[in-house]
Amino acid sequence: MSYCVNCGVELDGTAEMCPLCRTLVYNPARPVDRDGSTPFPTERGEVALDSRWEVAVLISAMLGSAALCCGLLNLFFLLTSQPWSLYVIGAAAMLWVFIVPPLLWRKLPLPAATLLDGAAVGLYVLLIAWELDGLDWYLHLALPATILLAAILLAQVLLFQKRRLSILSTMAVVIASVAVFVAGLELLGDLYFHGGWEPSWSLVVLIVAGALEIPLMVVRRVPKLRKEARRRFHI
Amino acid sequence: MPREQDWYRLDNAGVLYSALKKEKYAPVYRFSAVMTEPVDPEALQQAVDRTMPRFPSFRVRIRKGAFWCYFEPNPKPGPFVRPDISNPCQPIRDRADNDWLIRFYYYESRISFEAFHAVSDGSGALAFFRAVLAEYLRERGIDIPPDPLLPDVAQPPGPEELEDAYGRYAGKRALRKRLQKTAYANTSAPEPFYTLNVTMGLMSVAALKAKAKEYGATITEYLTAVLLLSLLEKQRAERPFREKPIALAIPVNLRAWFPSGTLRNFMLTLRPCVDPTLGEYTLEDLIRYVHHFMGLSLNRAEMRAVVTGNVKFTRNKLLKIIPLFLKKPIMAFSYWLVAVRPFTATFTNPGAVRLPDSMQPHIRRMEVILGQATRPSPHCAAISCGDVMEVTFAGTGTSSETERRFFTHMVREGIPVKVISNRSQQEVR
Repeated sequence: MSYCVNCGVELDGTAEMCPLCRTLVYNPARPVDRDGSTPFPTERGEVALDSRWEVAVLISAMLGSAALCCGLLNLFFLLTSQPWSLYVIGAAAMLWVFIVPPLLWRKLPLPAATLLDGAAVGLYVLLIAWELDGLDWYLHLALPATILLAAILLAQVLLFQKRRLSILSTMAVVIASVAVFVAGLELLGDLYFHGGWEPSWSLVVLIVAGALEIPLMVVRRVPKLRKEARRRFHI
Repeated sequence: MPREQDWYRLDNAGVLYSALKKEKYAPVYRFSAVMTEPVDPEALQQAVDRTMPRFPSFRVRIRKGAFWCYFEPNPKPGPFVRPDISNPCQPIRDRADNDWLIRFYYYESRISFEAFHAVSDGSGALAFFRAVLAEYLRERGIDIPPDPLLPDVAQPPGPEELEDAYGRYAGKRALRKRLQKTAYANTSAPEPFYTLNVTMGLMSVAALKAKAKEYGATITEYLTAVLLLSLLEKQRAERPFREKPIALAIPVNLRAWFPSGTLRNFMLTLRPCVDPTLGEYTLEDLIRYVHHFMGLSLNRAEMRAVVTGNVKFTRNKLLKIIPLFLKKPIMAFSYWLVAVRPFTATFTNPGAVRLPDSMQPHIRRMEVILGQATRPSPHCAAISCGDVMEVTFAGTGTSSETERRFFTHMVREGIPVKVISNRSQQEVR
C-alpha cells in the first residue's frame, strides 16, 4: 500500500496521485497498479436532455393563436379600416424567433442566434415602417441602429465565448458596449435629423462610462488592487 | 390487495426539492453497498424487479399539476440496472429514463442506488435499498431468513409507509425564525457540467469511536466538529476581508422523535454555526459546542414547531393559488434564502446501517454520496457498516482543499484513513 507523503492518508493501489493534494505517487516498493480495477468506473455517463418539443409547440400555439385572433378581429370586427393586427402578428413572429429556435435546436450557436434575433427585430421594425409609410426613417435611422445593436451584442457574445473574463473585465466590457451604443445612436439620430454630428447627451453617458471604466481597468491591471477587491467583495 | 392510489401529494420537503429540479440540477443522493463478490447484473435486475412492487412510494414518476407537482405510479418498464459511471448523481430529467426517479448501477463489487430527494429521505431509501440487497443475495443463492429489518416483498405495503408524516405531526404553533446570516460559501471554480468530484475516506469505526470517546462525544459530534474546524481553517487561509460564519446543515431523522413508518421524507435540518470573528476555536471547543448544541436542539416541542412552520409555508393559501410555473421560482428563491445562503455545507450521517446477521458477511461496506449542491461547494456525508466508517465529500467545484484538511486532521488525530476518489482517474487518465 502507498501513502501520500504530503497528507499521510493511505491511497488505493491504482492511484497515480493523491486525490487530496495531487502529489504524484512514487513508491519503488509498490509501483502503481495500472492494470488493476480502479475504485470508481472511468466511463462518464450523461442523462438524456429534456425534450423541449412540447414547450416549443405550446409557445408556438400561444403566439400563433394570439396572432390569428387579432388578425380575424382586425379583418371582420374591430377597426377594420386600419391594419393594427400587423403589429401584434409581427411581434408574435419576432417573439417566436427569439424563443423557439433555441428551444428546438440546442446546438444553435449563440452568435447565430444573436444574428437571427437581430434580423427578427429589423424585420419587425420594417413592418412598422412599411405600415406607417416611413421607409425613409427606417433605412437611415432604425435599420442602422438595429445593425449597431446586433453588432455590439454579437461582439460581446464572441468575446465571452472565446475568453472566460473576470467579473471586472465583464463589467468593463458591458459598460463600454453601452457607451458605444449610446454614442452611435446619437450619431445616427444627428445625421438623420440635422445632417451632421452634434454630440450632446451621449457625451454625458460617455463621461460616466469613462469614469467607471478607468478605475475598473486600474483595479484589473494592478494585482494588489485586484486582490483587495476580491477580498472586500469575497469574489 | 388494496387498490393502488392514483396519485400522491408531495410532502413538505418534496415540494421544495421538486421546485429546485431543472435541466442541470436535481437533488439526488446515492447509497452503495460494496459486496464481497463481484456483482451479478442479472441477479440484481431480478432483485429490483421483485422488490419494486412492494415499495409504491419509490415506483412513482413526477408530474406537473396546475399548482403543484405530484407523484403518480409509474407504469413504464424499469428501473433497469446499468453499468456504473464515473460521474454519479446526474440530474433527474423529465421524460428521460422512462420517468424513473430512482436508478441502479453496478461496478465490480459495488451496487449503487440513486434517488431523487423528493421521493424519500436517507432513512426511507436505506430501508428500500436493504430490501433490494436482501433479494439480491437470495437471488445469488444465499439464505437470508425473514427478519424484522426486511419487509416481506410478497406482502402489500403498510399504509403508514406512504403517509406524509410532516402533515401528521404538524401542530398549531409554528416556530418563526429570523433570517439567518449568510455563511461562508466555500465555493471554488466550477467543473464542466456533468462532473461530480467524489472523494471517500475509509476509517475504522472502533478507532473513531475511541477517539470520540476521549472527547466525551459521539462519532457524529466528533466528525461535525472536525468538519467545522477544517472549514474555519480553510476560510482563514483564504484571508477574506471579513470572515463569515461557518454553518452546517445537519439533517436529523425525525422518526426517532415522532414515530412513523413512512418511507417518504421526514427529516429536519439543524444548523450548528460558529462565528470566526469571535476568535480562535480549538477542536475541544468545537466538540463541546456541537455536543451541547445537539442536546439543546433535539427537543420534541421545538422540532414540532419547526415542522409546523415548514408545513404552514407550503399550505399558505396565497402560495397555493399561484400557478406552478410562477411558484417554482418563488420556492427556489425561498430555498436559496433559507437553505443555501445560511449554510457552508451539508453534513449528513445516516449512522450505522443495521443489517440482518445473515447479510452482514456479504457486504464489505456501505457508501453514501450527496449529489451536486446548488453551487460548486462540497457536501459531506458519512455512513458506517460493520467496522468501516465511510466519509464522502462530493461537489462540482475543482478544489479538494476541504476534504484534504478534513482527512489530514483525522490522520493527525491518529485515525488511519484510506482515501479513494474519482478525481484520480479524471485527472490522470
